[in-house]
Amino acid sequence: MPHLDISRRRFLAAAAALGITAAVRPLGQAQAAMMPSVVGQDPGWFSGGRLRYRRDGMAKVTGSKVFSIDIRACDLDGWPQTQSHGLTLHVPRADRVYLGLDLSVLEPDLMPDVLIDAARVAADKVAMPEASFYGDFFLAEGQVPPMMGQPVALGIWHDYERFRAARKKLQFRTEIFRFGDHADQPARAPYGAARYVRVGGDDPRGRDRFSSMQDTVIWPDLTTDGVQWPGPEHPAFGDAMRHADEIRDVMENPPEGWRVFSGQFSSQSVDPAAMEMENGLGWYDDGKLHVVGATQSPYSAAHHIMDMVSDSNFSLDDLDFVTGYTVGYGQKEHQPFPYYVALAALYGQGRPVRLMLDRWQHFQFALKRHPFSIRTAFAVDSEGHFQIMTCDAIGDGGGVMNFSPSVGTVAVTAAQSIYYLPKSDLSVEVHPSTGVTSGSMRGYGTLQTMATTEMLVDEIATEMNIDPVDLRRRNVIKSGMKNTQGAVPSGHLRAAEILDLVAADPLWTDRAERKRRFEQENPGKRFGVGFAAVQKDFGTGAEAAVVQLEVTPEGRLQMRHVAAEIGAGATTSQMLVAEPFLGRPVDEVEFSVQDWPQMPLHTQDEPYTTSQEDEDRLALDPTWVPRFTSPRSASNSAYYFTHATQQAAQMLLRIGLWPAALSIWGEGASGGQMRPEPVSIDDAQWRDGRLVARSMEPLTLERLAARAHRDGHITGVCVHTFNRWAWAEADFDIDGQKIRAPIDALSVRWGQGASASRKASMTDGGYAFIPRSKAFYPPVQRNNAGTVYYAPCASLIELAVSTGSGKVEVLQHKTWLECGTQIVPELVSGQMQGGLAMGIGHALYEELPTGAEGPGNGTWNYSRYHLPRASEVGVWTQTGHVLPALSDDDPPKGMAEVVMIPIAGACINAIAHATGHRFYQMPVTAERIKEVL
Amino acid sequence: MAERISFSAVINGQKVGPMDLPHDLMMVELLQEYLNLTGTRLSCGQGVCSACTIIVDDAEKGSYTVPACVTGVAWLNGKSVRTIEGIAGRDEQGGPVPSPIQRAFLEHFSFQCSYCTPGFVNGATVLVERLQRQPIASDQVEAAILEALDRHICRCTGYVRYYQAVRDVILSTPGLTTDGPQFDMVARQEVTQ
Ligand code: FES
Ligand code: FES
Repeated sequence: MPHLDISRRRFLAAAAALGITAAVRPLGQAQAAMMPSVVGQDPGWFSGGRLRYRRDGMAKVTGSKVFSIDIRACDLDGWPQTQSHGLTLHVPRADRVYLGLDLSVLEPDLMPDVLIDAARVAADKVAMPEASFYGDFFLAEGQVPPMMGQPVALGIWHDYERFRAARKKLQFRTEIFRFGDHADQPARAPYGAARYVRVGGDDPRGRDRFSSMQDTVIWPDLTTDGVQWPGPEHPAFGDAMRHADEIRDVMENPPEGWRVFSGQFSSQSVDPAAMEMENGLGWYDDGKLHVVGATQSPYSAAHHIMDMVSDSNFSLDDLDFVTGYTVGYGQKEHQPFPYYVALAALYGQGRPVRLMLDRWQHFQFALKRHPFSIRTAFAVDSEGHFQIMTCDAIGDGGGVMNFSPSVGTVAVTAAQSIYYLPKSDLSVEVHPSTGVTSGSMRGYGTLQTMATTEMLVDEIATEMNIDPVDLRRRNVIKSGMKNTQGAVPSGHLRAAEILDLVAADPLWTDRAERKRRFEQENPGKRFGVGFAAVQKDFGTGAEAAVVQLEVTPEGRLQMRHVAAEIGAGATTSQMLVAEPFLGRPVDEVEFSVQDWPQMPLHTQDEPYTTSQEDEDRLALDPTWVPRFTSPRSASNSAYYFTHATQQAAQMLLRIGLWPAALSIWGEGASGGQMRPEPVSIDDAQWRDGRLVARSMEPLTLERLAARAHRDGHITGVCVHTFNRWAWAEADFDIDGQKIRAPIDALSVRWGQGASASRKASMTDGGYAFIPRSKAFYPPVQRNNAGTVYYAPCASLIELAVSTGSGKVEVLQHKTWLECGTQIVPELVSGQMQGGLAMGIGHALYEELPTGAEGPGNGTWNYSRYHLPRASEVGVWTQTGHVLPALSDDDPPKGMAEVVMIPIAGACINAIAHATGHRFYQMPVTAERIKEVL
Repeated sequence: MAERISFSAVINGQKVGPMDLPHDLMMVELLQEYLNLTGTRLSCGQGVCSACTIIVDDAEKGSYTVPACVTGVAWLNGKSVRTIEGIAGRDEQGGPVPSPIQRAFLEHFSFQCSYCTPGFVNGATVLVERLQRQPIASDQVEAAILEALDRHICRCTGYVRYYQAVRDVILSTPGLTTDGPQFDMVARQEVTQ
């Protein structure tokens, strides 16, 4: 899924080119000194060698200012004491020509001090950066709104009381927007479309006859007439289309003994419902623009703001973009809102301006989950083996493109769920509509496709009279087998192991008897048990990270890390990751670090589009990397950031502390204690915080650090990592040692006793860059893999349906997850429980209409949009089971996204078990159940 | 100009006011925009999600919660109120000393983004204070927690670790349950006397 996030390098280079001083920095650095309990100031989270609570826990539980939304001008160093307040005005319909605003209801005393609209920003040459991706700032008079909820103006009031009074008058008052005649939308081209065809060879692990990975993905032309699927004669895609046609023919006319099952499903539009609304605070004064933004992609936001202002009539010498904690589940990733904050600042007349959507507006304008209509079919042989899968998914991207193209491709490449398919033909189209823009909500399209696949598989089991878990066991993908793109997933696939556990679980084996008993004891209620299993990919296919780790002469471990916190506990986890290599967690840390003078690298940040030839050439330059850093995302952090942290820790041990240990053990006239028993780095272990090797004297980190510094060994490392569905590796020559490691750049720092020449070479932020002698980047062809990293997860749920009201009561559920090594089990289980609640909401409650009654009309809030409560998620009865890691080095996997998916399918399968009726439209609400009962 | 009131209250033990405020001002606005107490979080603004839950202390009724987003300052005029900023104590260096509920939320890893946390802290604090006045049997605890906190929405956590933390506090704090630690202590005292 190609995110468009950019690197800090590119950001700074762009700033330099524009002659702007620019920085992106975390909130803590910008806050005034007197702020209480800033994250990181509380040392109590880790004590006695034990993690006691989240690193940011004390600040959060005491209600300190941690979110962007908490910040006011007076909280920030050097800002004025008060701020003005902005309000965006959004049209509630998109079927008429917009003629302008009528704010007469405000009467003169409540009129905004500043009013910005399309004409005003056009006159000042301020335009939305990448408008095709984010949409235009404002709709101009005389135009048809491209979507409901499109902003048409932004008002600014310099005092809070007039602002609140005006807001109250304008809220829900649709007559302030003047509309003309009914007008149709102009035709727009689809946002994206793709098709993945695979015809496997005889061996599921062998060469494919045809696959996207080996051959090509089909990328059709997109015109205002729709998706132009190529014909069988097309020069690039003809071959693929012929295979697709053959597959479809077989589905129409299956061979003797095969059965074809198909289902037409629909998955609804959902609001990610981040509890913190879209918000920000901006201040523009004398060519200096300060923005406090709530975004999951701060670099892109800062970069675009810079472009937006420098292309305008406003001067820009300095940009300071400050990021607070935020929460979004994708809702605040590459969203347009930060640009409105910057815009408000530009027009603030030298005053800071605070801009925040209220919840109704947040429903009206913040990014949504894509609704999809999905037609899925399986051809199954008489033994219950899946032979062919086809899936045609059509998504509604809403008013603006945003991430629609990649959400579509990720959705359809995940449709296979946990099965091996000898042949498959999977297509996707994502179209524009007048609904609120859909973005990259948690699950990234895969919830929609995988949950529906699991519903169909359940139905096939019933139809073929095969136990649903057993049918899954017959078809589950095993290690080394290819996915529907023709790529081999990484490592050992453990979905089969989960299915074995489920098959033996009493919740599953006793379901018939439990149903009989429950229904006997509870007249008026029907009992059902449902199951679903999926595996979710994680990563973007271009994951980069930087970590710096050093040891002080006193033996304290200090880390700087690109990872940022977005709620899931990434920062806490990363501190613990060093422990196996360095004997204890990191002592001090700085997160969200954007400034990396220690890593003098450059990149054009085009990891998906650079040709192999170009990349081979570029990689010869040891200061070149395909990407500098990746956007922050919960599911990515566990796997990709952990790798970087582990590499830094391992490297510090190998090239810094280990030589120091050898120096201690080898001390003495005749080669010391080591002489009779030579040791190698493979013998190194940590026991009770001391380094041991065979029978050598155990050494504390303090002693090793002191020696490393005294002798001028390496005491600090900074590593850069890159993953394109495989880790980039490189060779380095360090202190005469040849080392190959799964990193693509390295800088080191020598200890205090280092020679003058070494010290003189430490010119990059106190580090010496070690040019790699050779780099091994995963071939660019791997971009076609779609994904290779999977975390499997399955859920079993027991529920009761009231025959009178159709109301569903969750009785209990159990979830199995495989996520490699758990760094902090409490955080994993917390993520699991959160995902389960979100999945239950998707299956049973949450739904936004896509037409005129949709959230773009400004009347939606939690009173109408039901988010699951504790009483609806089995809060006291749910259980979770995490598979033990395969080895001590089994990497932790991203799992925030996967856990919400099987529970959604399981809920609906359970309702089918309870009622005897199959549902194809999500959510399965009480009303829908009532209709069929 | 709209109607105004003179507002005074005790907020987190400190006297606030008299302040000249718009009559229709909501408490969350007073806290956030006038007093810079932003720990009381706004989410729905319509009294549905409980993110903005604050505590009112009433000498007769005891403590109870109100949603600050739809509770006007006019209604709270003259009352005594606690917000999240007033829940933890302070040590000698001015560092926070979490309340038993806050400590339990920390140790259970109850929250993630924490936007809802101040509401949960206040809701659970009032439940504990009610149980101090009217203890219940320990087999009623789970139902009591659900009844008190079900109106609190959390989008991140699925609630489990919040609920387990509150249950732990209630079951381990003397006097909150009729058959819990206090009962045992009394029984033991009787034996030893
Ligand atoms: S913000 Fe007050 S109840 Fe939701
Ligand atoms: S912890 Fe994020 S909303 Fe509850």
